[in-house]
This record gives sequence, structure tokens and C-alpha cells, in this order.
Amino acid sequence: MTLHNFIFGAYPYLAGTIFILGSWIRFDREQYTWKADSSQLLSNKNMRMASNLFHVGILGIFFGHMFGMLLPHAWWQMIATDVQHQWIAIYAGGVFGIMCLIGAIMLFWRRISNPRVKAVSRTRDTFIIGWLLVTVTLGLSTIFVSSGHAAHGDVSSMIALTEWVKSVATLSVNPNLIQDVSLIFKIHIFFGMTVFLVFPFTRLVHVWSIPLSYITRPYQIVRTKHVRMN
Amino acid sequence: MSHFLDRLKYFNRIKSTFSKGHGIVTNEDRQWEDTYRNRWRHDKMVRSTHGVNCTGGCSWKIFVKNGLVAYEMQQTDYPRTRDDLPNHEPRGCQRGASFSWYLYSPHRVKYPLIRGRLLDLYRTERKNGKDPVEAWAAIQADSKKRESYVGVRGLGGFVRSTWDEVVEMIAAANVYTIKKWGPDRIYGFSPIPAMSMISYAAGSRYLSLIGAGVGSFYDWYCDLPPASPQVWGEQTDVPESADWYNSKYIIVCGANLPMTRTPDAHFAIESRYNGTKVVSMAPDYAEYVKFADLWMPVKQGTDAAAFMGMGHVALKEFHVQKQDPYFTEYARKYTDFPMQVILNQQDDKLVSGRFLRASDFDNNMGESNNPEWKTVVYDSKTKAFVVPNGSVGFRWGEEGKWNLLEQANSNDIEAELSCIDDKDEIVDVTFPHFTPEEGDSLVRKIPVRKLTLASGDTVYVTSVFDLQVAQYGIDRGLGDNLATSYDDETVPYTPAWAAKITGVPTADIERTGREFADNASKTKGKSMVILGAAINHWYHNDMNYRGIMNLLHICGCVGQSGGGWAHYVGQEKLRPQAGWAPIAFGLDWHRPPRQMASTTYWYFHTDQWRYERVEADDLLASTAKGRYKGYQLADYNVAAQRMGWTPSMPHFDKNPIEIVKEAEKAGATDEAGVSKYLVEKLKSGDINFAYEDIDAEENHPRNLFVWRANLIGSSAKGHEYFLKHLLGAQNGVMSEGVEGEACKEVKWHEKSPTGKLDLMVDINFRLNSTGAYSDIVLPTATWYEKADLNTTDMHPFIHPLSKAVDPAWESRSDWQIFQTIAKKFSELSEKHLGTQKDVVSLPMQHDTPMALAQPFGEVKDWKKGDCEPIPGKTAPIFKVVERDFPNTYAKYIALGPLMKKLGNNIKGLDWNTDHEIEQLASLNGVIKEGISKGMPSLAEDIHVCDAVMRMAPETNGEVAHKSWSAQTKKTGIDHSHLYEGRHEEKITYHDIVAQPRKIITAPTWSGIESEKVSYNACYTNIHEHIPLRTLTGRAQFYLDHEWMLDFGEGLCAFKPPVDLQTHKNVPANIKDKPYLVLNWITPHSKWGIHSTYQDSNRMLTLFRGGPYFWVSEEDAKSIGLKDNDWVEAVNDNGATVARVVVSQRVPNGMAIMYHAQEKNVNVPGSNTTGKRGGILNSVTRTVIKPTHMIGGYAQLSYAFNYYGTVGSNRDEHVIVHKIEDKDIDWLERPLTPEREGKKNPSGINN
Repeated sequence: MTLHNFIFGAYPYLAGTIFILGSWIRFDREQYTWKADSSQLLSNKNMRMASNLFHVGILGIFFGHMFGMLLPHAWWQMIATDVQHQWIAIYAGGVFGIMCLIGAIMLFWRRISNPRVKAVSRTRDTFIIGWLLVTVTLGLSTIFVSSGHAAHGDVSSMIALTEWVKSVATLSVNPNLIQDVSLIFKIHIFFGMTVFLVFPFTRLVHVWSIPLSYITRPYQIVRTKHVRMN
Repeated sequence: MSHFLDRLKYFNRIKSTFSKGHGIVTNEDRQWEDTYRNRWRHDKMVRSTHGVNCTGGCSWKIFVKNGLVAYEMQQTDYPRTRDDLPNHEPRGCQRGASFSWYLYSPHRVKYPLIRGRLLDLYRTERKNGKDPVEAWAAIQADSKKRESYVGVRGLGGFVRSTWDEVVEMIAAANVYTIKKWGPDRIYGFSPIPAMSMISYAAGSRYLSLIGAGVGSFYDWYCDLPPASPQVWGEQTDVPESADWYNSKYIIVCGANLPMTRTPDAHFAIESRYNGTKVVSMAPDYAEYVKFADLWMPVKQGTDAAAFMGMGHVALKEFHVQKQDPYFTEYARKYTDFPMQVILNQQDDKLVSGRFLRASDFDNNMGESNNPEWKTVVYDSKTKAFVVPNGSVGFRWGEEGKWNLLEQANSNDIEAELSCIDDKDEIVDVTFPHFTPEEGDSLVRKIPVRKLTLASGDTVYVTSVFDLQVAQYGIDRGLGDNLATSYDDETVPYTPAWAAKITGVPTADIERTGREFADNASKTKGKSMVILGAAINHWYHNDMNYRGIMNLLHICGCVGQSGGGWAHYVGQEKLRPQAGWAPIAFGLDWHRPPRQMASTTYWYFHTDQWRYERVEADDLLASTAKGRYKGYQLADYNVAAQRMGWTPSMPHFDKNPIEIVKEAEKAGATDEAGVSKYLVEKLKSGDINFAYEDIDAEENHPRNLFVWRANLIGSSAKGHEYFLKHLLGAQNGVMSEGVEGEACKEVKWHEKSPTGKLDLMVDINFRLNSTGAYSDIVLPTATWYEKADLNTTDMHPFIHPLSKAVDPAWESRSDWQIFQTIAKKFSELSEKHLGTQKDVVSLPMQHDTPMALAQPFGEVKDWKKGDCEPIPGKTAPIFKVVERDFPNTYAKYIALGPLMKKLGNNIKGLDWNTDHEIEQLASLNGVIKEGISKGMPSLAEDIHVCDAVMRMAPETNGEVAHKSWSAQTKKTGIDHSHLYEGRHEEKITYHDIVAQPRKIITAPTWSGIESEKVSYNACYTNIHEHIPLRTLTGRAQFYLDHEWMLDFGEGLCAFKPPVDLQTHKNVPANIKDKPYLVLNWITPHSKWGIHSTYQDSNRMLTLFRGGPYFWVSEEDAKSIGLKDNDWVEAVNDNGATVARVVVSQRVPNGMAIMYHAQEKNVNVPGSNTTGKRGGILNSVTRTVIKPTHMIGGYAQLSYAFNYYGTVGSNRDEHVIVHKIEDKDIDWLERPLTPEREGKKNPSGINN
């Protein structure tokens, strides 16, 4: 097995498994660690800017990747041509990516320079914001390649990447699909997958617990006394 | 089960809905709720309290979970109070509630710690084959070795050792010191026994058994109000807090109730619901001001003036303009108002002299017993001078007439207050005066009688009342044109005059004085003054206090429930004192113990006397005889010691054991022989009192034990002097100290000694500043890890400390620690000490016939040739004590034979303890072998608790019966009804673990425990007619001792704060920048009890998290200070660095630094001294007062913690300037030889 085959053939499942199982185990065993670990109480300076930029940016990127790569090709073709699709990805990714980048830089800087935040930071806290920062930087770097492609109407890389993602998602992975895409994409993908790998070991787990139910929560909840727990 | 799988049922969790869908019923997982249940779930709950100096005495529930103390909560099971009174509960405050943090905190001392360099030295010597004592001797003999560990005190360097090793070293040091220098070169310091009695007793018992000195604390802390012994002959007795509720008018000054009496403050608030008017006199907007009806902000340090102004109104309107019947009767019976005073002709002036005595009359007026000690009144019934019952002369040598029944020679009398209607003449009398720019004396007209004495002299006599009215400046139409109106500010002591001095409006002083008196008149004395540290910590504290006491006595308030003074500082009533003292001072084996007045001790041994800038001559009254003119303050103290007034430690410039040996060589065979030998040698100068050459090496203190205390980090007034001279450490003393050369009685050494102590041992559960400067730190059990007893003056209950968990890590209870040391000491002394005879020098003691040593208050100094040195009369008493050193341990663990042989006593009352000793033998078991065979065991902490309680009248009805019977003999009055219902009661340790118990009324105290009244001081003096333990037997407005008159304190006079002159030299680095000179005020804190709690994470979080002091907005603005800036307070004593709190609460001219933020949390270096930024006491220095040294004269006689010099500190001023953040230096650099060698600030060479 070549390195390419391992990273783009096995690694997605390794990362995915650890992501799922790890989250599950941590949720079950370490309920007290299941939190965002906010340090905003210790220092709120510039956090309105930094936190919002980062969070809006990264959520935009996340959903952008989801819609861009997992929607069936046919559906996309109903709304846009492949070239248009690629331009949408470039612009949307660029905007959200830059937001995320600025936010991440601010957060990272805060984490290593603010003495109070630094004092409560564990290695994994500094690591994860650093890793995300690199990942988003790599993601933004791909724009230079993909905008060149788009300008020449070349959508082959984009198609290859989306096909590969779908092959991963459908458990019929084919690393060969992206054998020839530019190296920058590959590095970005590797960093991105690693985010999932380390996810259960970091504060990222708070993503799972986004309190969506509050939107429809009734005013009063009565929890019955007799709970039959198996 | 799985939280995750449970979540999968998310869409299935709703079982039903209600309220139109606004509510749902679910059956989701509820396991998470257990988290909150477990937070409060525990394995057991144990009753304990906090042995901390706060007078709280609060019972707490300690919760233990998984073998660890998890949290604590207030107990709510106090026995009920009297009907109609609010409950005591809940008792406890934020500080106590945070204590469990300490148990497992980083501050906790876990193992025996020792200075690494010392350990290396000791191990090397031991390896070379020396025994422990020889090893210690070898280290001490080599000045380089000694300096290597002494010089780094306070700079860290501790290593972990074992109990065996450090205890061996401590015992060896003690043995060596006794052998080489004498047992009185070993000293122990621990405060406030009441907060954990057994722990206190542990150290004091060991030290007393080996002949070492135990130091007082109440006077050193300046919490002792010397005015109380002066006026009442009582150390301190106060009402319980519940009695505030019974009051109808309360003035509060110097005691911040919600902040420092937190668990009791509710009574003050509740009293307002009961209709009480509350007046606050805080200079700042203190927390208690909020529940006052009137705030009279007094300029700090001028309280005496305000109270004299109020006294003026009360005296004028209720005694002069009309004679309030209740006030008049009270004054006649319970005060010295009717006592007759002789007026002396001095130069061209007539001044008040001594009290008239029976001995002044022909045939001693028929009084054969102590006629010199019986004062005289004029009986308006028989129109003759008579000798009323109750003066101190009746107390000793006869029985049945020491009482306050208004009788003389068994006839009813009516003592005349004033002779104004029956006078022989009106004369001009001169009173000393101390208010700047008003002249140094006041001349007043007084009605007098002319009397020819037995001596043939014809003198003028008058009553104290007549003197006092004149001194208050009240016009009686005698022709001296005094104040006719309260608005006349030219006549001292009018309200307008007081307003000028205090800044309080005339109308407020006048109205408050009148209301206070009017209320007392209507309620028979239910007017109260709550007072405390803030007005007692001044050099002239006795004037502040006597100003208040005067008002209270004018209004008949003292001794009445709801009335009187309520002083709450640091004494924490040691309720079962009579049962405790024998154990604590080893009186069951040897008498007397060595006890020392700590203020004098530290003043001399830390060489603060060398820096004294207050001239005693400047303090003398214009009317002074002044035979000691030219004496420095230190000289007065040396004279007082040799006259037998106050104690000394060490006593002489020779080892007291050697003195006995030499005396025996010279032919002495018994105590009298040794005493005779010593007197001769003192006369010839072959042996001298140690304090005459205090800096000589043979007079240095050598070993110091500190336990239950934070001497260095908290109470050391003159902190930097301690560091320099006592410890030899890095210090910030900013002056050379040359003033002491002016001393006449103390030998001057050009070079001041430093590093006097060979060994300092700290015993604590947390590593604080005292530990940091010690050589050995021993880990002790916390208040949740041992059995002990706790009482307070604030409530009448006794309750325990008990063991919630075993002492953590290697800690042990204090009782066990000193037992371990005693055991090792016994072993080592086999070879090195054996049995020795030791001579103890004892001053004339209060509450004994010795208090009748020096009649008429005349000073007779044998060294000046006034008289011969006669032990017990004109010199200390010399007692020989045989010390069987190898049996120290055997003695420590058993209740010794003297309790049976000599019995027990307190306050001059004796009783036998035979029965109690037998009971204790069966309760505790007996010791099986050795010299203690068959004696009750004191081996375990609980044994000691039970022994204390069994021997004390407060906890054993039978002992109450015995002691009250002794009192009845003295007074001739049956007091048995006071304890009758509880005669059979015996309270044990296990009883109080079940529930706090109310104590039994005992003659130890002047209040009673009753169903009818709350505990209040002097209650039995008024209601049982037991005399106050003063010269006249009554509360004294007037003190006739020569030194009192010399210093102008015969009557209370306003004396402004003293200029200590330490802020006059502005350091070079401050000269050219803006700075402030502020009065340095150090009140008690909200976030700590002294230094305890203030370093706890929980308390630090609640305020600034480090040292701070408060400055007014205007002062801050004037030098550009902003809130939370770094500031330095500096003067010649040293410097302290903190953050500034800028607040409108503080008046201008004052900096408030709370007591006691010490240097173990967030204290940077000082830019001025170059040393660690210091503590609140880095800028203070003790100044002693000669009147506090008086002895051998009725109530002005020494007793431990009763009378003596006090460590005042509030007259101090500091220079305050801003320090830029960038200039803050944390001194976090390695210790280089250069840095180690430079102990003083730059430019200080001595």
C-alpha cells in the first residue's frame, strides 16, 4: 500500500471511526469534560470579533463542504454549471475561509499571549486552534490553484475531489480518483481529516451539543420520577 | 447505562403534554441529577470549630466524604437563650465556611521541614560521632556555621525531614541552651488559649516544666485595654453579645460589628427592632455605620475628647444641676467618687495627691489590718470620715468585710460625693493638660475640707467627685468662671471644645451625651458602649478607654444588663481558666512558672529600644514630681523590673541554675538563703538584671517556639526589627538606631546584635511568614483533626474541636507534638542536665497579698538608694524550683501531685481539688510507672479536655460550690444562689461533642449565667456586692500612683496621638516625586481573621487577591493615584508594597491597611529598601508606656496578660507614593553570596 493509498484509502475510515467511537465513549464516560471550555470569563477582550468571525467562518466552511461535495452531481447540475459551481465554491469558501482565518489567528494569538488564558490552556487547546488555523490556511491556499482551473474552465479537479468524497461516504473508497490532483488539495484533505481524528480528544466535542432543541423547547418540562433504565 | 444510547430516544421521550403543549412530561434519563445529590452526600458529620483569634466561637458541622473533609456548615443546635431574646444562631461567617480549603491546600505543612543548611550541618556533626547535644553545641560554637543557616532565614531552602530527626535537634537545642545560658533563654509564644485551649497548654506545659518562659499576647497585640486593670482591677470582662439586645442606647466606636463580630452582629441589628438607638463613631464609613441612627465621624485617635465632651454634659446635667437618684446612689456605692484625696502643695501649685487612708488618722481609725490600704470617705450620716468596706486592705488578712455593702465598721453609712455644701475652703487646684496650644495645665476651683493627719500635717482633702467635676470644666459657681455654655470652646472638655478636636458637631456631642445619660437614668443603666481595637491600638489608649468608662460610671451603666462597656478584642474568654491554668503552666508539678510580658520582651530583644524617638520627658505632666526626668522609656522598664513590678526574661546576666549552685557553694541551704545571696549579689553588681545589658550575648533569647500563632507575619509590630535583630535575616529597617544611646539604665553597644536566636521552631498547619523565617516547621493537626476546647466572651457556651479525620500526612496534634519533644528532651537530659535547682524571679502578683507591697503608690527604687532591696516588697520575689529534667515527659503526661498538696486557686480564692483528682484517675486512667505512677493520665488530648473541665468551676458544679464558698468567706455574703441549681452538674468532653453546653456561674468572672439576665461584666460587683479588685474596691476615676500622676493620668485627660517621628526622613528616591504622609491605620479585615484565611484561595478571590491598602479619593488624586495602582508605604521602620484601593469611604489623611496581609501572597520587592515588600507591620514599631509598667500596687500589679506594656501602633505615619508597574520587582533571582551578605537596605550600616 502506498502512502497515497493509505491516506486517502484507509485514513478517512480511521479518522471517522475514532471520531464517532471516540465521541461516543467520551460522552458516556466523561460527561464532565463535555464542554466548550470557554475562557471568555478570564478575558473578553476582542472576543466579540474573534469568536464570531471564527465560528461563523468555520460553520460556513463546514456546510459549504457538505453541500458542495456531498450533494449528488446531478442536483448541482440543475442549479449551476460545473464552472459556476466551482466559482461559488471559490467565493463562498474564500469569504468564510478568510473570516475563519482572521478569527483563528486572533484566537490563537490570544491563547498564546494572554497570560490568563495561557495559564488555563492545556496543550490540546493550543494544538487544536493551531491545527484549525493551518487547515484553513491550506484550504484558502487551494483557491490559487482552483481559481486558475476555473478561469480555464477546467473542473476536473473539483469533480475528482467530489467523486472521491462520495466514494468515501459510500464506503467504496477509491484513492485513485485523486491521484493526480494538486498536492495542496491533498495536504488540505489530510489536515481536514485529522481534525476529525483529534476531535474527540479536544474541546471540539461541544459541536455535538449545539442546543438546537432550545428553539422548540416547551416552557415547562416535567421529568417523570419512575425511570426504567433497562 | 449509556448516556449516548439514551439520547437516541430523544424523539420518543415525550410521554404527554399539558397546558396546550406549553408543558411536556418526559421519561428521560435522570442520572445527571445524582451529580447534585452527591455534592452534598457525606459519610459522616462531626462537630468542630475554628481555633482562630476572632471571638466567634462558632459551632460547625464538618462533613467527611471518602475520608476527606469535604465542606463545613453552621451548627444550629445551641441550647436556647433566655425568654424574649433572639437565638444565637446562625453563628459563623464566610471565613470559617472556607476553612476546609486549607486542609488540602498548597499552604498545608505536610511533613517536618527544616532549613536544608542546618540539616546538613547537624547530620555532619552526628556522623562524626557526636551525640545530639554535642552536635548542636558544635554548630553554635562555630560562628560561620551558625551564620550559614541563620543568615538565610526567610529565603526558603526547606527540606523534608523526619519527626525523629527534627525532634532530636529541638530537644538537643533546648538541653544545650539550658546548660549553657539558662532555661529562661528559651521562649514560647502562642496567643489566646480560649480558641484551642489544649493546644495552647501543650506548648506552655512543656516550656513551663523545663523552666522556659511563656510570653503574653493580649498586651502585645494591644488588645488588652490597660484601662480595664487600672479602673476595675479586671483584665477584661465584657457582656455576651446577646446582651446588646437588652440595651436601649448603644454607642459603637472602634469595633466594626458586621465585619469583625460577624456571627454576633445580628444582635445589634435586632436590638434596633427592640427600640435601641445606635450611634456610630467610626472615622471612616465603616460597615457598621449602616445600622446607626447617627454617625459621628470622629477624627481618628481623638475618641477621648469626644467622650469627655459627652461626659461633661452627663455630669453637669445629672450630677451637678440635679442629682439623679439612681446615678448618685451608684456613684456612692460602686465608684471612687466619694473617696477622699489629699491635695499636695507642689512648688507654688496645689495638685491632687494620693487617696486618704485609714493610716492617716490617729490609731489607724481602729483598723489594725492593712490600714495603709484602706481608703476613706466622708459619711454624711455621722458627719465624719469613715473607712468603708471593700477596699483592698479588707481583702487580705481578714475576712467578711471585703464587700460593697455601704457600711463602715458594720454601721450603715452614706458616703458623701461632694463637700460643696459643707466645705471649709475653696482652693485652686492645678490639673495637667495635654492639648496642644492650650497650655500644659488647667487651674480649677475646688471645695475642700481641711484635715490634720496623724503625722501632724494639715492638708486639704476633697472627693474624687469634686476633682472630676472641676477637671471636666463644669462651672459650679465657685468663682472660676468656667464654661457656662456647651458652646464655649475655650474651656477644655465642653462639647464645643470636643467638636474642635474631633470634628464632630457640638450639637451631636451634646445631644448624644444627654441622651445616653437620660436613657441610663430611665432604664437604670441600659446604655452601652461597644468599643474595640481601633481605639485601643493608640499609644494613649487608656485615655480613650477611660473617657468612655467615665461616662459609663457617671451614668451607672457598668454591671447592669444591657449597659456598660463591651470591648471585644482578642481576649476570647478562657471560661474554664481555673481548670486549665494548672495544666497549661505545669502548676501541678512546679510553682511558680516563668511568664513574661511580651511587649517589653520584644521591645528589648528586637532592639526596638535602640531606635526610640519618643522622649519620656515630653510625656511628663506639668504637675509631675518627675524624679525620673531624663529617663528614656527603656530605662523606666528596667527600673520597673528591679523594683519587682514587671517580669523579666531572662532574669539575670547569669544562668539561674548557676546562680543557685553558687549560692549553695556560698552556704545557702534553702530558698531564703538563695534569695539572700541573690539580693547581695544584685546590690554589689556581681549579678545584674539582664535588661541592664540586653544586647550582651549572654542575655539573648536562644530558642523560640511559636505555635498557634503568626508572630512574624502578623503581630510583630516592628516586623523589620524582628527580622534584623532577632532573626538576623534580610530586613528593611531604614534607620541606624542611635537614639538608644541616651539610655541611662541600659548599656549601649555601638554595634547592634543581629540574629540572636539559635533556633526558631514554628508549629503550624500552614506555611506562613513565621514558618518562612523559622529553622524548623512542624506539621500540626488542623481544627478538624484534633480534640480540643473552645470558648468565647461572645456567648456562654463551651464547645469542642473534634476529630473529623485523622491528622493528614505526617501532622500531629499540638498536645502530641510537645509530648514527643518532652520525651526526647527527657532522654537527652539524662546525660546533660540531670536534676537542677533554678531560681525564678517573680514580680508582685495581682490578686495576691503581694499586691499590697508598696503602699501609697510611692516609688521606692533600691538602686537609687530609696530603700533596701527586699524581695516581695521593693524587689522581685526569688523562688527556687527544683527541675528534674529527665522526668519532664513523665510529668507532662500526668496530672501532678501539687493539685492535691496545694489545691487550686483563681483570683485570690483557694480550694482543694482532692475529689476531682480522684474522679479524673478513674475517668482518664492512671499512669502505671515512674514518678507519675498512680496519677491521672494526660497522655491523650481528650484526657486533657476532661481534666480541664473537671477542675474548673464553669464546668463542674462541685468546684463552683467550692470556689464560691471561698468567695463567701471573703465577702461575708452568701453567693450560693448563683450556682445552686447546677451544683451536681459535671460537663465532660463527650457532652459538648453532643451539644454545646452553657457554663456554670463561677467567681472567676464578674458576670453570671442565669435565667433572668444575660452575661454582663461587673454584674456581681453591683448585684452581689463583691468589690472590684482595685485599691478602693470600686471603679476608679482616679489613680494615685506616683507614675500615674507624673504622666498626668491620675484622672482621664485627652492626649492627642504621639508623634513617632519616623516619617520625617523622606527617602531619596521619593523626595522629588509627589507623595503623601498618612496616618497608618490597621483595622481587622473582612476577608481574614488576622493572617488566617487572607491567603486562602477562596478569600483572595473575594477582593484584590493580594496586599492592598485604602486611601481617600482626594488624597489619591493629589498625587495622581488611580485605583489598583501599586503603591509603597515607607518610613524609617521599613516599607510595604501593595495595591491601592481608592475610595470615598476613607477620610483624608489616613491609609487603611487591613490586619494582617502577610508576605506569602503576591508581595513584590520594595523599591526603597530593596527587600521583600513587607507586611502591615513593616512600617510600625512598638513604643512602650511607663504607666503600664507600674506594679506592686493593688490593681496596678502584674499578672500574665493582665497588666503590662502594650504594643500600640496607630500613632504611626507613613510616606505613600506610587510605583509604576514597570518598576515592580518580584525579587525572583537566585541567591548569590553577594545578595546573601547584604542584609540591610543600601546605606544602612549598623
